Amino acid sequence: MTDTDASKDVVIERSFDAPVELVWAMWTEPEHFKAWYGPTGAEIPVAEMDVRVGGHRLVGMSMQTPNGTMQMWFTGEYLEVVENRRLVYTEAMCDADGNITPPSEMGMPDDHPTTTQVIVELDDDDGKTKMTMTHAGVPADSPGAAGWTMAFDKLLAHLDAQTG
Amino acid sequence: MSVAIDDDRLSETFAALANTTRRAILTRLSDGAATVNEIAEPFAMTLPAISKHLKVLERVGLIVRSRHAQYRPCAIEATPLEAVADWAEQYRPVWEARFDRMDEHLRRLRPEPDPEPEPTMEKANNHD
Repeated sequence: MTDTDASKDVVIERSFDAPVELVWAMWTEPEHFKAWYGPTGAEIPVAEMDVRVGGHRLVGMSMQTPNGTMQMWFTGEYLEVVENRRLVYTEAMCDADGNITPPSEMGMPDDHPTTTQVIVELDDDDGKTKMTMTHAGVPADSPGAAGWTMAFDKLLAHLDAQTG
Repeated sequence: MSVAIDDDRLSETFAALANTTRRAILTRLSDGAATVNEIAEPFAMTLPAISKHLKVLERVGLIVRSRHAQYRPCAIEATPLEAVADWAEQYRPVWEARFDRMDEHLRRLRPEPDPEPEPTMEKANNHD
């Protein structure tokens, strides 16, 4: 029952006019990863990636907010590494040392899984790359989403109760 | 029934929700429709300040206000909230934006198809 609900996964297909080796590097080489991963206005000062099965990753994101710089950390483990073909890793919010933050500390209900999983599949398409990205599980890496998720869940449950 | 809400609309909804007062107002309205005065009651805020928050919520369709009743009570509108609460849908635009940036980054890395010959510097250095 803890399996992810497939209907709730994010699945995105993209084609890139670049060879699979380069698209693979986008995911696995810190300098490339930093160039695209952060949301607009955010920076990725830290991207440590030990890209091998069982290897760990640590990504630090810093965003300017009206209340100053907000730092967020994400950690995870590489579950599958098939060079230029398939990459699977987990992701969870953590502190700067990589200790996973319990969902309750993020304002989420305790039954929220702490970890999500990202699956990247690459296919060579005559020198170009077809990429399929699947993000499965419950979100843990969105600025502010944690608090909102709880608020919405409560609110919607409440609305359901009101409207029958 | 499927309700299509485009990414821009979703972003606007996020922006409207990124405020504790507005979320508190929505929580209050989930108990039922209320007038501005009733909504303002628990807040240490002026009525105009509360009205401003209500306008933001109304603009993104999170609340509706009666046009006819004298006190124009506000009611919550759940549809945009459902779109936001569906986490897959809230993540899709995040990833799409990331991959747009990946595409741009790849473009910058791509070598020019026909590199122009380097202009020769010989002439400029010839001082003899």
